[in-house]
Amino acid sequence: MRGKIAALALGVASALVLSGCVASPQTPSGQDTGPQDITFWLIGNDTPQSLRDYLVGQYKQVNGGTLTIEEQTWGDIVTRLTTMLPDSANTPDVTEIGNTQSPTFTNVGAFADITDMYSQLGGDKLLQSFVEVGKVEGRNYTLPYYFGSRYMFYRKDVWAAAGLTAPPKTLAEFNQSVVALTEQNPKAIADFSGFFLGGQDWRNGVSWIFANGGELAKKGANGQWTSTLSDPATVKGLTQLQELQLKASKAPSTAKDQSPWLYINDSDSITDTAGAVTGSTTLAAGTIMAPGWAHWSIGDLTKNDAGRDVRQWNDDTFGVFALPGNDGKPAPVFAGGSNIGISAASKHQAGSRELLTIIFSDTYQKMLGEQGLGPANKDHMSTLGTDQFAQALIDSASNSKLTPAAPGWASVEASNRLEEFFQKVADGADITKLAKEYDDFITPMLNKK
Amino acid sequence: MRTHHDAATLSAVRPAVKRRTRFAPYALILPAVVVLIVAMGYPLAWQIWASMMKFGLAQQFGQPPQFVGLENYISMFTTATTWGVVARSLTFCLVNAVLTMAIGIGLALLMNAVGKAVRLVLQICLLLAWAMPVVAVVTVWIWLFDWRRGVVNSVLTELGLHFTNHNWLGSALGLYFVATVIVVWMSVPFVAFAVYAGLTQVSEEVMEAASLDGASALRRFTSIIVPMVRPVLMIVGLLQIIWDLRVFTQIRMLQDAQTPLDSDLLGTYIYRLGVGSSDFSMASALSVFVLVITILFSIAYVLSLVKEDS
Repeated sequence: MRGKIAALALGVASALVLSGCVASPQTPSGQDTGPQDITFWLIGNDTPQSLRDYLVGQYKQVNGGTLTIEEQTWGDIVTRLTTMLPDSANTPDVTEIGNTQSPTFTNVGAFADITDMYSQLGGDKLLQSFVEVGKVEGRNYTLPYYFGSRYMFYRKDVWAAAGLTAPPKTLAEFNQSVVALTEQNPKAIADFSGFFLGGQDWRNGVSWIFANGGELAKKGANGQWTSTLSDPATVKGLTQLQELQLKASKAPSTAKDQSPWLYINDSDSITDTAGAVTGSTTLAAGTIMAPGWAHWSIGDLTKNDAGRDVRQWNDDTFGVFALPGNDGKPAPVFAGGSNIGISAASKHQAGSRELLTIIFSDTYQKMLGEQGLGPANKDHMSTLGTDQFAQALIDSASNSKLTPAAPGWASVEASNRLEEFFQKVADGADITKLAKEYDDFITPMLNKK
Repeated sequence: MRTHHDAATLSAVRPAVKRRTRFAPYALILPAVVVLIVAMGYPLAWQIWASMMKFGLAQQFGQPPQFVGLENYISMFTTATTWGVVARSLTFCLVNAVLTMAIGIGLALLMNAVGKAVRLVLQICLLLAWAMPVVAVVTVWIWLFDWRRGVVNSVLTELGLHFTNHNWLGSALGLYFVATVIVVWMSVPFVAFAVYAGLTQVSEEVMEAASLDGASALRRFTSIIVPMVRPVLMIVGLLQIIWDLRVFTQIRMLQDAQTPLDSDLLGTYIYRLGVGSSDFSMASALSVFVLVITILFSIAYVLSLVKEDS
């Protein structure tokens, strides 16, 4: 009998293990005044320590309270925001949020209305595409924090060995060059990619759609969003992308945009018995597309003062350029970056607003630019400097575009439908047919709040 | 959760004790029942309630959910994706459970047969594998199976096979293969120890008598050892099925490395629906369905126990 009861209890217990739990929504409470201790979520380690220290010190001075900065990770930020933002006891007071994730949260009322501060924080000088994704029905909820659009890194030595001129002037020239580079494979490297682009890497791949005048989705007159993968302009871009995937990239069709720079460095060398270098084993890409900060991971392998392996950029081997568009101007690439907003559930609205004032101050905007992060305020673009990375960043950003500001966009991203779609394109699927199929998946998700 | 299961395992194999009073056992079980109801009953009730609502991100941020009855269930059962995920999960679960049991029982027999020193080495190795945190384990395995720099490809290529740049995680099948290696590697120690504990209870006299009667090793295994340790095998097998059905971390981490098409199992699919797409009601509905599947497995076990007792 005991055996049976125990077994029964076990069955029930094991079954119950499977059940999950979602925090109940809570309503925001009243606001306090005077010194307020607030929490600010930054995502990833892009914001350097010196900037964080400045914010903490400045906040203490202005408000008297303590600012606690908590670092989150990009991988689970949507989950964290979904569970924490509605909960006034645990919500961060101010948070960074991915620019493409912003519409989903602003549309459900997760952020406080800061329209009255808009002009004081920079107004029309702020990056408008980012302001747009933080807006609902004309009211501002989130504002740009920083941008960092993607550009091309290439191997000067490999391009030169194939007799190709770099940088290419138009998108068509780029497409031809990387295909030619792959075919020639001047260094005879196994599985060499003239342009290394993961099959599921839609954030980079979408540049070919944008450059051909295509869109991922459009908002109709009735306010409803429609997925536009099967529009002729989008299909044209996808066709070019498919050709690159089939003829220039040997990246796995399941790869996303994680660390493509691994394949452009030549860290390991094969040596013959006399010690002479006969070949390199890890160089596998002539060109990659990555956010600007990737240049810290590209270069020759050396040791820093602490004796740790670091990459030293080498101008003889590596170069950068912004992906050119059809008209010779930079192509509209995906504008990476993030927005910032105040949690609607925060009990410290006054303190949070003071933090925003500090972040959008001239001093802090300059500090962002000096660290290579694209400042939200266009007046401070020059602080990015004049080196080649700054130039490529400014060029690529000049024409950059964001994903649709549809309420359900974060759901579309989280559903992995785009990864699936781009992988099937990379594998050589019939684009027109496939695009229609995925439009049917994505359109209902776009409008779901 | 492991401690609950282990405790249950022990009491399940213990022989029945005659009851002396009517109320004492119920009083003793009461705290456990209260804890179960509070800690698990509430989320379960919430889940069933949510599965009959329209509950998305807007509801999470305070808007009232709308009652839709069984609509979520209907749309779930009429979607081909759901059945694909269920079929893959059941297959994955059974393959893994069978492999784990087979290897685990094999190791238990080995531990029973070898000398003390060898057994100690084996046990330490198994314990180390068992004690390893799952995230660390999966990370290491991902490195081993990396398509460009992985040790596995390198070794296979050295052996003369064509595995240069072979992308193990490039297809759902490849991902399941790697996941199976990881899951089996991690679960075998538990099976091996539990079965070994059972084997030590098989009296040597019986075994000796059997071999004197001329029973072969295989015969001794199937006719004496298996029936005697059957309760242990049953409960350990059931646990494996339940654990492998709700496998999440391993699949999710492999998918983070690379996500081949149609590679979701029940755990990751529920996660994607709920946390990813903020469709909490649909995720709840699917979770309730998984609960039903698990209960069906458990009932089969309970029924066989009942049969045994009578």
